[in-house]
Amino acid sequence: MNLKTRLTLILILLLNVSLFAQDGYTVTGTVIDNTNIPVPGANVVIENTTTGTSTDFDGNFSINVKNGDVLVFSSIGFSTNKVTISGQKTLKIVLAEDSAQLDEVVVVGYGTVKKSHLTGAVAKIGGDEVAAVQVARVDDALAGKLPGVRIQNQSGEPGAAPKIQIRAASSISGESDPLIVVDGFPISGNLATVNPNDIESLEVLKDAASAAIYGSLGANGVILVTTKKGKSGKVNLSYNTYTSTSSKYVKDIEMLKTAGEWAEDLQSGDYDLSNTDPALLQYRLDAYTNAPDVISMEDWLFRNGSSTNHDVSVSGGTENLKAFASLGYLNTDGIVRGQGYKRYNGRMNIDANLSEKLKAGLSMNGFVGDQEIVPWEMRDLLRAYSISPIYHTQESIDFIQQLDQTRQSIYDASVANGNPISQLSGSFDSNYRGIGLDPTSIYDLQPGDVVHDWQYGRNQNGIGGTGDAGVGAKFNESRRFKKTYFANASSYLQYELLDGLNLKTIFGADIQDTQTYEYHGQVTDGQQRSDRSQLSNSSIKKSTVLSTTTLSYAKTFAEKHEVTAVAGMEFVNTYFKGISSNGTNLPFGLPLNYSFISPSDVNTSTVDAKQSRRGYFGRVAYAYDDKYLMSASIRRDGDSRFGANEKYAVFPALSLGWNVSNESFLRDNDKLSLLKLRFSTGSLGTAAFLGSYQSLSILGTSPTAFGTGFLIPDDVANANLTWQTNTETNYGVDLGFINNRFRFSADYYTSDVNDMLINQSISEVNGTPSIALNRGDVTSSGLELELTTKLVSNENFSWNLSANYSTVDSEITSLGDLEELPRQVYGGPSGRGAEFRNYVGGEVGEMWGYAVTSEVETQFIADPSRNIGFGSSEWYVVDQNGDGEITYEGDYVKLGSATPDFFWGLSSDMNYKNFDLSFQFQGSQGAEVYNLDPIYWKSQFGGRLTDAFDPDGDRIADIGPNAGKHYVETRNAHGAMVQDASYVALRNLTLGYSLSSDLTDRVGLSSLRIYAAATNLLYFMADNYTSFNPEGVEIENSGYAGPTTYGYQEGASPIVRSFTLGLNVNF
Amino acid sequence: MKTIYIVAISMLLMTACENELDQTPPVELESSALTNYGGVLNAAYYYHTGVVTPQAVMGDFRADNITFDDEPPYPDFHTYNSDLGGLAVSEIFFRPFYSNLYKSILSANNVIENSDDATQIAEAQFLRGLSYFKLVVAFGDVTVNLSPTPDSSDLSILTRQPASTVYSDVIIPDLTNAIAGLDNSGLSSGRASKIAAQALLGKVYMYTNDFPNAKIALGNAVNAAAGAGVVLEPDFANVVTDESSEIIFATQISSSITNSATGTIFSGWFQGGDTKADEQNVTLSLIDAFDASSTAGGGTDLREALSIDVAARKGVKYTGGLDQDFIEIRLSDVILMYAEALNETSSPASEVLPLLDPIRTRAGLTSLAGTASSQADVRTAIAQERRVELAFEGHRWFDLVRTGNVDAAMGQSIDSNYHIFPIPPSEVLASAGVITQNPGY
Repeated sequence: MNLKTRLTLILILLLNVSLFAQDGYTVTGTVIDNTNIPVPGANVVIENTTTGTSTDFDGNFSINVKNGDVLVFSSIGFSTNKVTISGQKTLKIVLAEDSAQLDEVVVVGYGTVKKSHLTGAVAKIGGDEVAAVQVARVDDALAGKLPGVRIQNQSGEPGAAPKIQIRAASSISGESDPLIVVDGFPISGNLATVNPNDIESLEVLKDAASAAIYGSLGANGVILVTTKKGKSGKVNLSYNTYTSTSSKYVKDIEMLKTAGEWAEDLQSGDYDLSNTDPALLQYRLDAYTNAPDVISMEDWLFRNGSSTNHDVSVSGGTENLKAFASLGYLNTDGIVRGQGYKRYNGRMNIDANLSEKLKAGLSMNGFVGDQEIVPWEMRDLLRAYSISPIYHTQESIDFIQQLDQTRQSIYDASVANGNPISQLSGSFDSNYRGIGLDPTSIYDLQPGDVVHDWQYGRNQNGIGGTGDAGVGAKFNESRRFKKTYFANASSYLQYELLDGLNLKTIFGADIQDTQTYEYHGQVTDGQQRSDRSQLSNSSIKKSTVLSTTTLSYAKTFAEKHEVTAVAGMEFVNTYFKGISSNGTNLPFGLPLNYSFISPSDVNTSTVDAKQSRRGYFGRVAYAYDDKYLMSASIRRDGDSRFGANEKYAVFPALSLGWNVSNESFLRDNDKLSLLKLRFSTGSLGTAAFLGSYQSLSILGTSPTAFGTGFLIPDDVANANLTWQTNTETNYGVDLGFINNRFRFSADYYTSDVNDMLINQSISEVNGTPSIALNRGDVTSSGLELELTTKLVSNENFSWNLSANYSTVDSEITSLGDLEELPRQVYGGPSGRGAEFRNYVGGEVGEMWGYAVTSEVETQFIADPSRNIGFGSSEWYVVDQNGDGEITYEGDYVKLGSATPDFFWGLSSDMNYKNFDLSFQFQGSQGAEVYNLDPIYWKSQFGGRLTDAFDPDGDRIADIGPNAGKHYVETRNAHGAMVQDASYVALRNLTLGYSLSSDLTDRVGLSSLRIYAAATNLLYFMADNYTSFNPEGVEIENSGYAGPTTYGYQEGASPIVRSFTLGLNVNF
Repeated sequence: MKTIYIVAISMLLMTACENELDQTPPVELESSALTNYGGVLNAAYYYHTGVVTPQAVMGDFRADNITFDDEPPYPDFHTYNSDLGGLAVSEIFFRPFYSNLYKSILSANNVIENSDDATQIAEAQFLRGLSYFKLVVAFGDVTVNLSPTPDSSDLSILTRQPASTVYSDVIIPDLTNAIAGLDNSGLSSGRASKIAAQALLGKVYMYTNDFPNAKIALGNAVNAAAGAGVVLEPDFANVVTDESSEIIFATQISSSITNSATGTIFSGWFQGGDTKADEQNVTLSLIDAFDASSTAGGGTDLREALSIDVAARKGVKYTGGLDQDFIEIRLSDVILMYAEALNETSSPASEVLPLLDPIRTRAGLTSLAGTASSQADVRTAIAQERRVELAFEGHRWFDLVRTGNVDAAMGQSIDSNYHIFPIPPSEVLASAGVITQNPGY
């Protein structure tokens, strides 16, 4: 008897029963799901009775009812639906899918677990959600989606890695990059190497107990990526494409003035022009007003960007052989001149059942990333005065030659009338300080020559002033790119030894070749203290060979005792090989080839290192009756980077859970459908920032005048250098209401870092400013809340809304022998950066300096017409201790830190008939950034105030509304540069339309969707933030020391707003 | 079935057997594996490339020769109060100065303790003496470390030692040993030489006001000069070029080699040509000094135009750009100090002043012989000569402090706390206060 016959029989029997029912009538109907597909075998029961039926294969049912009965429709995997009978003859019932009830499987380290049995803090996101956002990298798509996971767009360059921080930083010296595991393989590359369209699901292991099975690699959290596998059945071909156009979000920075704007500003009444000789003033005003072909730096540097993306994937297979393959291509032209990103991805996953018990698989992934980077600091480019074209025109040449003549005649006249205007004495040509690469006289210029600022007069004899090279020269003579080639091949074999007992071995290798190129030519023709020209090339290959063997066991005893266990070992070797070449004193006018550079100017260095790691691990999980949950794991790790005495460490973890809602007293509660308590604690180690041989004392080398020099080693040999241990405890609760239509989770954690690996500062008498040591403690805590709801769920309309909120607080509780690490000024030329302090009792990376009240009023600028620059470049500062003096010791206060008070996300998915609409908000509140840009953009010169403002020069204002207040120059007025980095971003807004199935059937497609999307359609930033990207943080300048100096910004690549049209087709 | 086990096990073994936790670097050298200390000695020289820019700025910008104007924190050099103790200015000047000197010292210690090449050891002793001398002159009392591998966990070794002890126990013995161990063969290649050690030892005695010994050491250097091929450069225009024949010891700078402290080159600071320095920064006082020299010398002091563009008030002495070596000691300096030592040890003016003649003749000036007779007048004449001869070579401030003429020259009363410079604040924090800050900063 087949199933259909059996069902029909049951139906007939039930119908027969119904014949005996009294006072009723028969109602017939169909049960379907959201997508109009019939739901067979759904239960149809009259509430509070045992009378019922179930639907047939086409979802049809028929049942005898009377008015007032309540029919309850239910089916596994769907929400329950109720209908009160009031004379209906036919019913069409839509059951909404309830994924919570499906008891979704969550991937964890070396295994999977039913979501209901999860005891740690694990966040999950589906691959469709990742692919739904049009971003260059997978990690960009995670922004705002996961509680406790902070994604910060710190670079802004397309294709650049965002900062990913999972919970609190595990190190104050190292970076926070989490471990990326793709299909069980911890890859050498980062998330950029994974095509967003290849992802089936992505899990983030946040708490120590979940990550502890990865031991030393898991300290920053673990991101587990599961890629798509082939499915048996019909071959599916999927094609996705989109095209975007983009521009910078902040349209116009008001403080960046053009010559014409500045001429108007000067005459607006905000400035006191009376201190400038009238003839000189008029000369300059005319020059600002009449300068021809002026190009605004901002308009020139930024442009509209675009992106094109194509992805093709094929999947299919038979019962015993399944395959998935994909190709991806993305090409982005950035919104800044010289910025671009190309990405190529390829993947193939094959899974085979070789026999009933033996499975094997092979997967290969290739990635090429090609990143063109703005070759010059953006801060420096934008500070150039917008008083000229980029390349000379006949008009601009005529103009400056004429201006120089005018200057001379005004000067001559002033001499004649006995009142010489000394500023105008020198000719423009006398301003030239270069080395003769470009014309040295303004009278030799030809149209098309690069404009340099000196040609417009500096030394106050014209309207130039920076003496810096023209941006045209900077761009022509520089280039920077980074290419990444990544390939991974991994295979597995899995054999079922006994029922529930599997042996699995993963063997694979990957290689990542990172090539960087940087060229800076001899361009600073405006000044003698020129930069050295430079040609750098490097190619570093990092390869990993990994072998993991696990024995896993899963069995349910007596229906109520579920046991899973895994034990395994893992061997990993990582190799670094590469070479980098550096040339200087590049010859002018010859191709960029090391052969043309003098041999003594070429310096080559070799990288060759190997790191070995091994781990032995095990985990046992036990669940009783789906109520009481326990999981315990342990890992013993060894790592070649540690000192001879301390290679190994052991990391245990334990977690417990209680599904309270599965207890009898709650089981039938209508309102509270889920109540689960979770507790976990565990420890894991980290090698943090350690280099391959950091426990040894290795001689560095440098060329010297007498040949190779052996430098003082950066490290002191330390046989006791060992693991840092992070112990973290997590308390969690999951709540579900009304059949889990509303779900709420809260997690609170505390973490304690012991034997913290830090670059401990030592006296430079020892030859190095710091050595890696196990010193100090940091404690952190955080709260994470997540709410997911299915607000509406019916046939035509469904709406899911979810929100998350996270906090992180960290405090340094010990620094070994020290109370405070040496203060560091990080960033900015000549130390114009923030002063970072790290001391016991404080946060990590606090920014300190003078607090300010307001900027010194513009009417006190002595000679505002001298240069573009509308600020006085002086700020009133607070004398904190009231001693009448402004001193470093007495008046510095904490101005902020880069850690937000909280960050959050809000996402929504709506479906109405064939339309879908989704959006994603992301926000961060309470972080600060030390933004250097305004110093340069407002005014490049201090010391410009009138004599009357402070005749005695004691730096206390003597006149004006703020008379009596202390003032300092902007570069010392740190508070003026600490800005609020809070933001709220509408990261994504997508409107899609799917063709109805009868239409797609007709053209032979299984589905077709078109969509329009916008990235950063809205982006709110704090009022006092004055640049292009509040998330931007510079980490590449020399002196960057990790989280202890995090939060400095200069010329960050702007927040980009883009509009996209896209197409998804499935054949 | 069995095949599977074999495959699985062999996969495991493949990586396991190569998985060794004791890794040593294949292409780098562990410090314990050194056998030849020539490379370490090279580094001891090299670290001075990061020292000379701050040294030049301290010597001239703190004094009355040249100023910073617009751009903080540089003007802190002209405020004789705690301003110069700030972090920003320290990071640009005092910290690279300090750290590179101690790196040079550690490298020298390594050579002295471990090398078996007597010349290498003597060169290292010269460099160690030079390094400690620069430290003492700039900071007063300093930490003394004579070990190549100090125990970084022992803070007690960091205690600052009195300057007088550093002179007597380290600098003078090192230079004395260097004199004994060196000949003059290194002169042509820019390495340490016997005459360099003699000259430097004489200078050290000058700084300790031990004029009798200074007279001996400087006299030795002056007398040995010609034999070693060190003669006054005939044309002042070439006197500070890398090829100058009167260089006794210079820190070798090359555009091919990045200096050991990133940042600027010292010559740029005097030229006023970069965007940071004031356009008109040579002091009127220095211009007056040259003018006075012309007047007193019965002609035009040729050095004025070769040192200063008077109209633009910027320095023009250096023409070597990114290759310009920094002269630590040259013959004119030695002659002037020798004359000074003679004067302080009561040699008659008639014996002292003619020593200056070759220098003055080269400058287009007449002899001072007969223009001064008292010890005080001769002292003043020599000081004046030093100022114009050695302008922008990093001497002025240290000379003023050494001779007790700070207040007179600067025209203000300056607390003697500010005769020396602040210890880098990072050192105070990193040593948990064992290394103390100089009073006043």
